[in-house]
Amino acid sequence: MAEVVRALRLYWRLQRAAMRGALQYRLNLVIGIAAGVAYQGSGFAFVWVVMHTFPAVGGWSLREIAFLYGMRLTAHALYVLPFSSLIGLDWLVREGELDRVLLRPLNPLVQIMAKRLGVGQLGDLLAGLVLLVVALPPLGPASILFCLAAVVGGALVEAAVSLALASLALRTWNTLGVRAFADDLFSKFGSYPMSVFGGAAQWALTFVLPVAFVAYVPASVLLDRTGELNVPAPVAYGSPLLGVALFALAYRIWSRQLRHYQSTGT
Amino acid sequence: MIRVESLTKVFRRPHTFSGPLGPLRTLLTRRYDERTAVDGVSFEISAGEIVGYLGPNGAGKSTTVKMLTGILTPTSGLIEVDGRVPWRDREANARAVGVVFGQRSQLWWDLPLIDSLRLVGDLYDVPAARFAGSLRRMCDLLGLDDFLQTPVRQLSLGQRMRGDLAAAMLYDPPILYLDEPTVGLDVMAKQAVREFIAETNRLGRTTVVLTTHDLADVEALCERIILIDKGRVLYDGGIDDLVTAYAPPRRLVVELADDETRTFEIAAGRPIPELIAQVAAEHPIRDLSIREPDLEGVITRIYAESER
Repeated sequence: MAEVVRALRLYWRLQRAAMRGALQYRLNLVIGIAAGVAYQGSGFAFVWVVMHTFPAVGGWSLREIAFLYGMRLTAHALYVLPFSSLIGLDWLVREGELDRVLLRPLNPLVQIMAKRLGVGQLGDLLAGLVLLVVALPPLGPASILFCLAAVVGGALVEAAVSLALASLALRTWNTLGVRAFADDLFSKFGSYPMSVFGGAAQWALTFVLPVAFVAYVPASVLLDRTGELNVPAPVAYGSPLLGVALFALAYRIWSRQLRHYQSTGT
Repeated sequence: MIRVESLTKVFRRPHTFSGPLGPLRTLLTRRYDERTAVDGVSFEISAGEIVGYLGPNGAGKSTTVKMLTGILTPTSGLIEVDGRVPWRDREANARAVGVVFGQRSQLWWDLPLIDSLRLVGDLYDVPAARFAGSLRRMCDLLGLDDFLQTPVRQLSLGQRMRGDLAAAMLYDPPILYLDEPTVGLDVMAKQAVREFIAETNRLGRTTVVLTTHDLADVEALCERIILIDKGRVLYDGGIDDLVTAYAPPRRLVVELADDETRTFEIAAGRPIPELIAQVAAEHPIRDLSIREPDLEGVITRIYAESER
């Protein structure tokens, strides 16, 4: 426990230092945030247009889709905000910059996460939360708790996939492409009722890449639509736990691959 | 303090094929290229020693240091640093060692030097009172006061290196690894770095492992050197013994009247005046000098012999 408190304290100190460093390049920071807001705005506008053209998608109403979209976006923002510096891992490995991290008496993943805060993703978080609150169906306290847990679980599912793929960078593989592809699948398919994609695609997006568990499965629970799912209801109720389990597994993979880090010649 | 036995590191990379379908073949086949960077190295270093770890480029020096710090995991063999296995117990090992890589700063590039030092203090859990004392001592020893508030990216190489040394010793580690700490520095800065290392070793009995290409560093600081080439130890012992054992013959260098310079080896046991007389009889000499064997000559000779 003391270790966790120490890690959090140091995370915060390093993160503040990183932000002080980033503030040296003010214009960069402003452009980054503006681009983030503009990007999410366009995604949101797209859904709005779709929903105004078709009154329902896969039997889901505009309000239900907005709720699903909000859950997905909030979960995504909660994952990117702390993990955005994982994007630079390929570079950290190839340039041998990971050396510095491995010399310090602090968990390497915590140090990498503290290199940057995805400030540009604050726009995502805001948009996600607004959608979530506006489209929230009438829920009891237990369901609200489940919703919060599901959003965190969804963030952990995305984080787990990203971390497991990024681990391969430690073997000096080029992982950026495949990570961008996975991220794309999450954002393209995660925000819609999976039943519209049909059997095989739905199966793959549930059991191969667990896109469905980020938002679709828990949203179905909250909207009382578990009957449409391709997983049994008890599994759907346990979906927030899947994020925890997957992240624990991804962390093990990461720790294993860390031993294969080869540094550079000098 | 440091014990290394049959330490080996083999780097393994997927074999890259050439030709139009090369990248595809690289992806699909499981052939690997192996390169042995460190090949069965053994040595022991006691507390308080300063050891020069020498070798030509690509000899395996940095790879050894990276295994000693826990950055790299050995392929085989045993390492123990202060009773710990660095790669297995990386964080505890990190607290016991200070590391300076001359080629790569550990400081926060965009922040003032003082911020980096504070962050190092935080990372190593140095209590505030002890940190203030350590910082004072580092500022006095390394003359940091003038540029404590300067962002690291604006420091000169010499200032940056002094900042790196301070960051490595702020938390009083019993062991200090220095990987080419004087590379690229001017004479004054080199002198400052050497004095700091000597002082740290003398006051705190810090064990120092120093890799360098500058033999003046070694002559100024080390009593013992470990010479490696192609991942193997060629020599491990005192500098004096090395020079005696491998000393090339002294040389007589004469400058002739027509601006030509000739060098003659002085065979062991041959009286020098006799050689000079003989040379003078054959050539008109304008000037002459006798070259004593130096460490550089000795080491060049050892490398040359290991090539054969």
